[in-house]
Order: sequence, then structure tokens, then C-alpha cells
Amino acid sequence: MGIRNKTLKVMNSIKLMNKEKKTLDIMNSLLKIFTALLVIVFVLYPFLSVFGKALYSDGRTNLSEFQFIKGEFYLVKNSLLSASITALLSTTFALALGLMTFFVSERQKKIIMFILLLTMVSPPFIGSLTYIELFGRNGFITRDILKLSINPYGLWGIVSVQTLGFTSLNAVLLIGYLDSFDKTMIESAKSLKANTTSILLDIVVPLMKPAIAVSFLLSFIRSMADFSSPMIIGGAFNTLATEAYLSIIAKGNSPRASAMSVILFIPSIIVFIVYSHFLKQQQSASKNLRESQTRMKKSGVYHLVKILGLFFILWLIIQYLAIFTSAFTDKYKGEIYFTFDNIKDSIPHIRDSFIRSIIYSIIAGVFSSLIGLILSFYSYIMKGKYMKILDFISNMPYIVPGTFFGLGYIFAFNKSPLKLTGTALIVILNLIFRQLPMSIRTIQSSMTQIERATLNSAKDLGAHNLYILKDMVFPMSYSGLFLSFTNAFISSMTTIGSIIFLVYPSRKLATFVLFDLVSSGKYKIASVLSCIIIIVCLSVSLLSYRIFNRSSKNVS
Amino acid sequence: MFLNIKNLTKKYDKVEAVRNVSFSAEEKEIICILGPSGCGKTTILQSIGGFIQIDGGEIILDGNKIENLEPEDREIATVFQSYGLFPHKTVIENITYGLKFRKYKKKDAIEEGKKMLEVLNLRGYENKKVTELSGGEQQRVALGRALIVKPKLLLLDEPFSNLDTKLRVSMREELLRIRDLFNITMLFVTHDQEDAFSIADRIIIMNKGQIEQIDTARNIYLNPKTEFVLRFIGSANIDKGYFVRPEAIRLSENGEEARVVGKTFKGSFIEYIIEYNGNNYKMIRLNNEEEYQINDKIYIEMEMREI
Ligand SMILES: Nc1ncnc2c1ncn2[C@@H]1O[C@H](COP(=O)(O)OP(=O)(O)OP(=O)(O)O)[C@@H](O)[C@H]1O
Ligand SMILES: [Mg+2]
Repeated sequence: MGIRNKTLKVMNSIKLMNKEKKTLDIMNSLLKIFTALLVIVFVLYPFLSVFGKALYSDGRTNLSEFQFIKGEFYLVKNSLLSASITALLSTTFALALGLMTFFVSERQKKIIMFILLLTMVSPPFIGSLTYIELFGRNGFITRDILKLSINPYGLWGIVSVQTLGFTSLNAVLLIGYLDSFDKTMIESAKSLKANTTSILLDIVVPLMKPAIAVSFLLSFIRSMADFSSPMIIGGAFNTLATEAYLSIIAKGNSPRASAMSVILFIPSIIVFIVYSHFLKQQQSASKNLRESQTRMKKSGVYHLVKILGLFFILWLIIQYLAIFTSAFTDKYKGEIYFTFDNIKDSIPHIRDSFIRSIIYSIIAGVFSSLIGLILSFYSYIMKGKYMKILDFISNMPYIVPGTFFGLGYIFAFNKSPLKLTGTALIVILNLIFRQLPMSIRTIQSSMTQIERATLNSAKDLGAHNLYILKDMVFPMSYSGLFLSFTNAFISSMTTIGSIIFLVYPSRKLATFVLFDLVSSGKYKIASVLSCIIIIVCLSVSLLSYRIFNRSSKNVS
Repeated sequence: MFLNIKNLTKKYDKVEAVRNVSFSAEEKEIICILGPSGCGKTTILQSIGGFIQIDGGEIILDGNKIENLEPEDREIATVFQSYGLFPHKTVIENITYGLKFRKYKKKDAIEEGKKMLEVLNLRGYENKKVTELSGGEQQRVALGRALIVKPKLLLLDEPFSNLDTKLRVSMREELLRIRDLFNITMLFVTHDQEDAFSIADRIIIMNKGQIEQIDTARNIYLNPKTEFVLRFIGSANIDKGYFVRPEAIRLSENGEEARVVGKTFKGSFIEYIIEYNGNNYKMIRLNNEEEYQINDKIYIEMEMREI
């Protein structure tokens, strides 16, 4: 009797466990399906909608929208021209900055990194703003110092503004790549009596080829997709990106805008394929854990590197000095004086928009990180077959130009059942999914630290997949989540392209206000607003760097 | 038999990492798998643990076919070479994690965990971070975490490889003690022949995904079934299908003449290379015996055995 009772009890508890396992299985499937749906609806569907709009009308394929390639070929030519020059220049400067790190002290390197960070947390058209203030018709340098009256608008304006804006990211990329180099290679070259020029040109630069290619291509797409700089300082120099933007804003011609965006997308996809190819090589580059400062003689090619690098840094410093002074000064009868008036004047412009920007950015940061975590869990950790495809789809917002992604949202969500146009939700969703690729990357690279054996142990002890997500992967990805949140927050605070068509005029975000202010010539107030955006983003990234460093010290 | 593996096969891209492996274990038995790197030892453990999909064969544990179950549904626990401890949890949280899925109340789980720490001589370590522990301590935490869920079978993949020689010896004793305490069956992968010889009831010698021989340590050493086993375990002098172990070469006044051509001091014994009949042989003598110099003449007796 006793034995039978015991058996019954055991059987009951097994039944109970089975039931619980079933519940967990169902929840697991639901989570997977839900995430998959999110990606399909908010990434794939808008993406396809743009193609639909460009290629179909009246129920059949219609290529007439692409006529502009013949009639207005200059648009394509202008875009390619400015993108090529910008990519070339911004890669050259970035390379010089990268190589400079071989010759400077740790402290100087930190300062350089800080200056680069500054440009990365600035709104995109801040370069245009200072450009006009310094070199414009009434520019401080061109008119007040050099007494010139030149027309600064056009190709070279665009190129110099974009170069200034894109070089920083390239430089950070190249410096990161150099840091992962096996330094003993350089030491051995030195012991073979190679001089600085040969070390740099025979060993370092050839090894950097993949990273150089990546930064060239990245700047190329970014330049092609950028509509704000050409809008502000392009003058008569129109590009595909500006024309696509104007087609919507001024003419309401969405098929034409879509066709142009599709054309803009072609180089992006090519670049992306090449980029992923190079990225693979880059990841297999040898990692060197030993922190070592490699010293080289300051001779030969070094001097060229130094001139380029210093020139760029000086240029950046002038830009930020100009913004800060412009925010706190005004001119009266040719005399420049200090004032808080600009700040007072800016208050009505920023009150609502600023808080709205911060809230949206926080939401975008949190959700893109969480969705990124769940996706990475299923695709990277669990290696689900279909999840790999989903992973690819969720990376698409990274390659498409911002305006393309924004157009997609208009076309996809302007009718029921998913009528979202005009709501705050559509803006937030757009921000979330636009940042998703970066979040996925950041989180997956932090997941490489998680040992397989750790997860297997948890499984072995009876943990269901969902528990592995909750108890293991989530807490062990804190650093990645944190970084991903910070990046997404900053990008959302400074972005404009993808949401410019989605934001309702009465619910403007800070970058929009800034764009309007610059476009309508209110440079002083624009400077104040830029400063505030920079300060907020900078504080968030420095703060997160602090916390992140502390928490990573605790773990290891 | 308590554990029965039948015709286990696992392929990676058409290459068979494990081919048609069959063996079994009785309850409470400790079986060691020995073999060169890449021969498929880890693959066998991972197949039994359920971490990889197998391409063929059956795994039967205590009368139940388990090869299609998820790892969390198999009554098996694994101690990984790298331990796989949860770096963000304390010692006690690591040890009691498995109880969470076995309907333990938190208080009871901690009670059990403390008992386990006692058994493993880790009293007072409850709230330490696992990342602050030494290799041997981490090893014991991993062991405790696996044992606490009372698995029917414990798999250990080179659990001692991160430990120094002294610690290895004490961990071996610990493992034997734990076997008697928990009445548990163990499958143990190692590179170290001494590990295998000191704790295994039976040893499996593997080569290129297949089993060469399963036997007691004594039989493996004295009666190797294949030349691979002979060469892999200990050292041997081999000549045309016959072999003799170095310690089986005896000195004898009536023996045949040989000449010392090499000599290495190895601590408790001395290894000589001797020339005999035009061939070189390895021979060992304890270091408290008469010591020979190079070029000395000695007289030996030996019996070559067929492989
Ligand atoms: N994930 C994998 N993909 C492809 N081949 C694999 C994979 N895992 C193992 N192999 C191959 O299967 C064979 C057996 O590997 P296994 O890890 O079982 O060897 P092992 O005996 O444990 O070796 P070691 O003693 O070095 O740990 C090896 O040839 C290995 O290269
Ligand atoms: Mg192995």
C-alpha cells in the first residue's frame, strides 16, 4: 500500500511537471512568433511597400517613374560625384587619425577619442550650420577675417560638411581595428630595421585594407542618403536624396520619391554585401589582449599623417568653438558681445519638442535593445533555422537610406487595419526598428562572451529555454544591453531622415526644430539647440561609459 | 545493464566523429574514456547528455530510451571541462539552481545546498562569487551543482585538466568518495592515463571515432588487444608483432648480453635505452637499485609477447 501511494505521488508530480513544461513550450513559441511578426510587419512590410509604390501602379508593373534617370540624369551624377569625393576624403582623414594613434601617448589618444565622440553625438546638420556661420556670405572667417564675399554653396560645401561629419565614425572604426592588431608584428618589423615609412606602408596599411574599404563604403552610402546637408548648403546642386525629399514635401509625389529611393538603395545593397564580406575578415583578425604601446620613430610618412590628422582635429575644434560661441554671443554694429539672449529666445522652440525627443529616444532605446536581445537569443544562441532569416531581415534598416525607411512606413501604415500615420506610435516604432540592427550587433558581440558550457549546464539542470533566457542570457548581456540602449538613444536623439515624413507638425522633435531653424536662417537659436542636444547625448554616453566600465570590472 | 549505448554514430558534415560505438555500464560503475585528441570523446558525452543530435544508435538509461529527449529531460548531469559556472551568481545560487526546476522551496533548496557544500568541503563559501574561487574550488562547485539534482548518471569531460598534479590526486579521491556517498554511475573523459588507472572500474580506449578496447585497467595494460592500445597506454618495445613492456626486461646473470646506450633520471626510477640484438629497447629500473653508466655491459632476460 505504502509503495503504491508513493508511486502515485511520483506519477502525479511527473504529470504536473509535464503540464508546466507544456505551458512553457507554448509561451516560448508565442514569444518567437510575436517577435517574428514584429520584424515582418515593421521591417519587411514597409521595405517591400516602397518597391511596390515605385514599381506598381494601377495593378500592373509600371516603370515610368524611373524615367527621371534619363531626363534628370544629373541627379544621379551629382549624388555619385559628391558621395565619391566625400568617401575618399573622409577615409583619408580617418586613416591619418588612425595612424596617428601609433605616435601619441595614451592620454592624447583619449583626447582624440573624446573629440571624435563629440561629433558622433551631434545632430547631422550641425556641420552645415557652422559652415554657414564661418564660411557663408556673412561668415566669420570669409567676411570678417578674410574680407571675401564668395559663394560657399554647392558641391564643395556639401563635401566639406559631410567629410567633417563622417570622418569621426570612420576613425573610430579604424582605431578599433588597429587596437586588435597583433603588435608583435610591428615589433618584429622594427627589429628587422624597418623604418616608420616602410612599417606603415608595407605592413600596417595593407593589413588595414578591409577596414579601409568598410569605412569608404560606409561613408559612400551615408553621403548618398544624406539629404539635409545638400538641402541647406547645396544651393543649386541637387542630389537624388534632396530630390526624393522635395518630391514628397513640396510636390506630394510619392511614386517619384519611391523610385528615387529605390535607385538610392541599389548602391547601398551592393555596399552592404561587400561590407558583410569585409566584416567577416575583420572578425577573424587576430585579437591581442596584451595592452601595449607600440612606439615608432617620428619620421618619413609620419609627417604627412600628422599634418592631415592635426588639420582635421583643428577643423573639428573650430566647429565646436563656433557653435558654443555662437550660442552665447550676438553682433551689434559689427561688435561681437556676450549674451544669454539666444538661450532665452530658444526656450519657446525647445520646450515641448525637447522633452518629446528624450521620451521617444528612451522608449526606442529600451525596446530596440529588448527586441534585439530576444532575436539574438533565438538566432545566435539557440541557432534557430528560421530565426537566421529573421536576423537578416532585421538588419535591413541598417542598409537602407533613412528616407527610404520613412517612406516605407507611410505607405505601409496609411490604411486600416494598421492605420498609424499621424500618430506618435508610428514615429516611435520607426525609431525602434531603425535602431534594431545596431542593437543586434552590440548585443550579439557581448553574447560571444557567454560560454556554451554555461548554457548547457543550465539546460542540463533542467532549465527550459525561457529560463535560460531569463536567468542566464539576460543578466549576462547587461553590458551589451546597456551599450545598445545608449547607442539607440543617441541615434534617436540626432536622427531626422527616417522620421521626417512621419512626424506630425504639431508634435515636432528637437532635430526637426533644429532643421527648421537652420533652414530659415535662425542660426543663433539653432546653435543653442545644438549645444543642448550635444550636452544631453554626451552626458548619457559618458554616464553609460562610467557605469559600463564599473560593471564590467565587477564581472571579470 | 544500467546504461546501454548501442551503435552510436555522429557525423559532422559527412565526417564520422563517432562511428558505431557500443558499450554499457553497471550501476555505480566508473568508466573512463581515454584516447588521443579529436578521437570523439567529447562527442560521445555530448550525445549522451543530449547537447547534440545523434545520427544513429540508441541510448538506454535505467531501462528508458533517452536519445530523443531534450537535455533538461534526461536524468543526467554534466561537469564540463570549463565548468560552465554561472558567472553572475554566487556559489550557493550556482549549486541550487537545478533545484528550482524540481519544485523545491527556496528555503529547502538553500538547506540542501548547504549540505552539499559541507560534503564538498566548501563550508562558508555560500555567498562568494564563483569568479573569485580557485580552479579546484570552481571544480567542486561544478560537481556539487551537478550532484544536487541526484542524476542517475554523471558525465565528466576532462574535469581535472585545469588542476595541478596535487589537486588532481585529491580530486580523484573526492570523486571515489562521492561515488560511494551518492551511489552514482560516472562516465569520465580524460587525457591523463593516471586519472583513468586510479579511479576507473573499466577503461574505454578510443581511436578515430571507434572503440579499440573496453576492459579493466589491468587487462588493458597487460593484454592490449590492438597495437594502437599497446602504443597508447604506457610505453612498450615492439618488434614484428611482439612486444615487451620496459619494466618486464629483467636483469639476470644467465641472460643475454646488452649494452647501455642512453639513460634518463626520472625520479623514482631510471629509464635506460639498451642495445640488444641490434635493436634499441627501453628498460626501467628503480632508483635504489644498482645504477649503470653508458657503455656498461648488462645481462638481460625478457619474454616477447604476441600482440
Ligand atoms: N561542431 C563540430 N563541427 C565539425 N566537426 C566537429 C565539431 N565538433 C567536433 N568535431 C570533430 O569531431 C571529431 C571529434 O571531436 P571531439 O570533440 O569529440 O574530440 P575529443 O576526443 O573530445 O578531443 P579532445 O581530446 O581534443 O577534446 C574531431 O575530429 C572534431 O574535429
Ligand atoms: Mg574533448
